[in-house]
Amino acid sequence: MIERQNRRQRILIITLVIICVLLVTVYSRESKDGLFHRLQRFSLDVVSPLQKGMSTVLSPVKDGIGYLVDLGKARGERDRLREEVEELQDQVDETKELELENEQLRQMIAYQESRPDLELLAVDVIGANPDIWEQTIQIGAGYSSGLQEYMAILSEDGSLVGRIILCTSESSLVQLITDDKSSVGAMLQENAEMGVVKGEGGGSVRLELLNQDAEVGTGYLVVTSGLGGTCPSGIPIGTITEISERRADLSVGIVIEPRARLTRLSRVMVVVSPPPTTTPLAAEAGG
Amino acid sequence: MHRRLTFFVILVVALLIQLTVSPEISFGTVKPDFLLVATICWALLEGPAQGALFGFCGGLLEDIFSTAVLGVSAFAKTIIGYFSGELRQRVISKSVIWPMVIVFIGSIMQELIRFASWAMVGLEDRPPFSIGIIAGLALYNALVTLAIYPVIGHFAGGEERALMFQ
Repeated sequence: MIERQNRRQRILIITLVIICVLLVTVYSRESKDGLFHRLQRFSLDVVSPLQKGMSTVLSPVKDGIGYLVDLGKARGERDRLREEVEELQDQVDETKELELENEQLRQMIAYQESRPDLELLAVDVIGANPDIWEQTIQIGAGYSSGLQEYMAILSEDGSLVGRIILCTSESSLVQLITDDKSSVGAMLQENAEMGVVKGEGGGSVRLELLNQDAEVGTGYLVVTSGLGGTCPSGIPIGTITEISERRADLSVGIVIEPRARLTRLSRVMVVVSPPPTTTPLAAEAGG
Repeated sequence: MHRRLTFFVILVVALLIQLTVSPEISFGTVKPDFLLVATICWALLEGPAQGALFGFCGGLLEDIFSTAVLGVSAFAKTIIGYFSGELRQRVISKSVIWPMVIVFIGSIMQELIRFASWAMVGLEDRPPFSIGIIAGLALYNALVTLAIYPVIGHFAGGEERALMFQ
């Protein structure tokens, strides 16, 4: 019984396949006006109004699918544009950085031309001391670049930043003029009155004049005196912003705002020549 | 009598959906082949002979209502209907994933048979062979099966329904 059924199945499939092959053969050989070609054209004529009607009915579905397809494309486009924006933003940041660097270098060159007596070396600032009690920065050059302790450090516009207090082969530690252990020989540019600029630890510095009766006023520029042998003379330190009453020891409290932007240093200049000849004032005083 | 009526109704409905709905829900050039899905679902319920007969009738109608070479779709669907019916008798699992897998493979086989047939009759303006489109069609058909298989199963006789994938 099952065998007979299987035989009938085989006969059916073979018959259907033979019919298909015959149809394909006849269709391929007949002309465009042949029976089967005409049958196809007639069928399409019959079904086309139906297709048109269904197309109208289903147009919202079609639009929905189109929207989904577009959404997929839009996501890809969004991701591509995001990447492009990120790349362009990186380029803009890089350009800004280069512009800043260029400006700093221009200022350094201009300063070097104005002070031919100094030999300067531009060095990158590579870090700051995390300790709040020490006002120091780290620069990316040391012994191997010809640096040594007590050399003066200037900002890009030639203002005094501080001096090297520790030198390794590839980096150096710079004590800022605001550090409370810092002392620099100074003078008033207006009348050449001599004094010492000392750091106060909090971002400001004060001037102690040797002559307590010397004429002094706000806005006066304070420059290095060259005494002490660590800083060459004539380097701007800052401007007097405040003069307080005479204290118990009869000295006048003179507050100076440093000219160098000590919190935004990215590159500095090291005064390589003339080299420091003596220890700094603070070192002499045991500070 | 019931089986013949069901056969006829499913065939006509599948053809109408194929001609009217399918082009409207296409993704790019990929549109679902409802006649192929119906052929495989029918074959899975009724066996190889019925599958081959459904495939032949469906394919022939598809050929008549298109401008394709007459007999090629009929040939492909006859073969696929027959082998789908044969496969049903060898799959023990009743997971509903099986009809989808069989439709996925059947869709790829159909396109390969059609391209081979067109090449054999020397059809000059045949479409370019694209794996991506064939894979997309197979996937779309497999998804459509999820909706069609239970509907066709609903019309099947009690004996066949017991064999249905769940």
